Amino acid sequence: MNYQALEVLRDGPVGWLIFDRPESGNAIDARMFTEFEAAWRELDDDPKIRAIVNTGNGDCFQTGLDVKQLANDPEALRSSSRQTRDFTLRITSWHCGVRKPVLAAVNGVCAGGGLHFVADADLVIAADNATFLDPHVSIGQVSAFETIGLLKKAPMETVSRMALLGAHERLNAERARQLGIVSEVVPQAALRQRAAELATSIAERDPDLLRLSKQMHWNALEVP
Amino acid sequence: MTYQHLIVERHGPVGWLINDRPDVRNAMNSAMRDEFADAWSELDADPAVRVIVHTGNGRDFQTGVDVSELASDGIGMERYRQSMEDFDVHFTSWHQGVWKPVITAVNGICCGGGFHWVADADIVIAASDAQFFDPHTSVGQVVAVEAIGLIKKMPVEAVMRMAFLGKYERMSAQRAYELGMISEVVDPPDSLRDRAQELGETIARNSPAAMAATKKALWGALEEGLTDACKQGAKHLVSMWGHPDQTEGPSAFADKREPDWKPLQ
Repeated sequence: MNYQALEVLRDGPVGWLIFDRPESGNAIDARMFTEFEAAWRELDDDPKIRAIVNTGNGDCFQTGLDVKQLANDPEALRSSSRQTRDFTLRITSWHCGVRKPVLAAVNGVCAGGGLHFVADADLVIAADNATFLDPHVSIGQVSAFETIGLLKKAPMETVSRMALLGAHERLNAERARQLGIVSEVVPQAALRQRAAELATSIAERDPDLLRLSKQMHWNALEVP
Repeated sequence: MTYQHLIVERHGPVGWLINDRPDVRNAMNSAMRDEFADAWSELDADPAVRVIVHTGNGRDFQTGVDVSELASDGIGMERYRQSMEDFDVHFTSWHQGVWKPVITAVNGICCGGGFHWVADADIVIAASDAQFFDPHTSVGQVVAVEAIGLIKKMPVEAVMRMAFLGKYERMSAQRAYELGMISEVVDPPDSLRDRAQELGETIARNSPAAMAATKKALWGALEEGLTDACKQGAKHLVSMWGHPDQTEGPSAFADKREPDWKPLQ
């Protein structure tokens, strides 16, 4: 399949899903919004792929919905509103029921809706210049899914602080590592190589065991 | 309203709730417990207050229930026991359904029941000389509600260790920071209130209505598994649709000006 706002690559057993709107901080426009499900599905269904890396082109990892662009596309806006209201979003690997291990490699700013991809990945590593923030409340918007996902996996105070400080504070990569939101911080230039190493190593394990393990871990989060 | 054991102040958009029994390390007696309920409600109802800071006067933040009163006043003990059995309690912002952002600023010792206000705040900062411990099991008491709140929000081992080591070990502010129980260690300690005010003023720049809905989504998520939490979060998210702040925010951003938010209803 051809993608306009995403890049989907294969390198041996590792599939790459790359946000590809670097000129707009990789914000999710109408095209990217509709391309996600097919991209995750394609990599998950490919028997040669055993692990998936998710990263971004350019200086930012992912900066959330491109509200301005979406406003110009009433059909996409309606669809995103409906999926938000009903919580039937199909943008992350978790939303799309991906069974293979997913590693997020945060290559720069991860803001607002970008936190979806951190919360919903199995492993997260970050470049040393990566920062995390949730500007929703600074522009009159509610923060919910991303921060709910994060608070199930990280100390809650960190998450509520990020949600309530909005655009006025950023969490740096090293603090995110201390708190267990990411597990490794590497120099920016080495990020993709390190992600590839980790994914290749994971890809050597028994795929059935990985699938079951992933399922059990995520199921455990379904208990209050 | 006037209070005997608390001080309620307003500094700009920041409301302050200050424990004021410094001679007994701000231990909570029966009267203070009742005053908490009123003070949280007063600050929550005041539209000029956008963020609430909670701290303590004197050397320490809070040292839990005033055990000497419990021991000497049979009626107070009975009332306290009954309220805990029914979990009909009203002394934290969470108990009182306060949906404004709450910052707890821990000065000195926070022990035992003092953890209620660490567990139930949105943001917790502490002076560099703050200390945390839970003496319940050292004085023949069960650790319960405070620890349950903490366990939902931070690494469990640290909470269990405090519960079982009781008064024989103290956690430093630095360790609390490492664990994500608090997000800032303020040094020197006497700059704690300045920093809390500054943080409060920063948060006050965000949409009050959006923050209230966000708070409901996040605290509601502690009651549910992940998928159900997202579904109930969607309700809070959608509750803001059509609110004037949703258009004011992006246009203020585009115009590079401070947004003019609607006060909380």
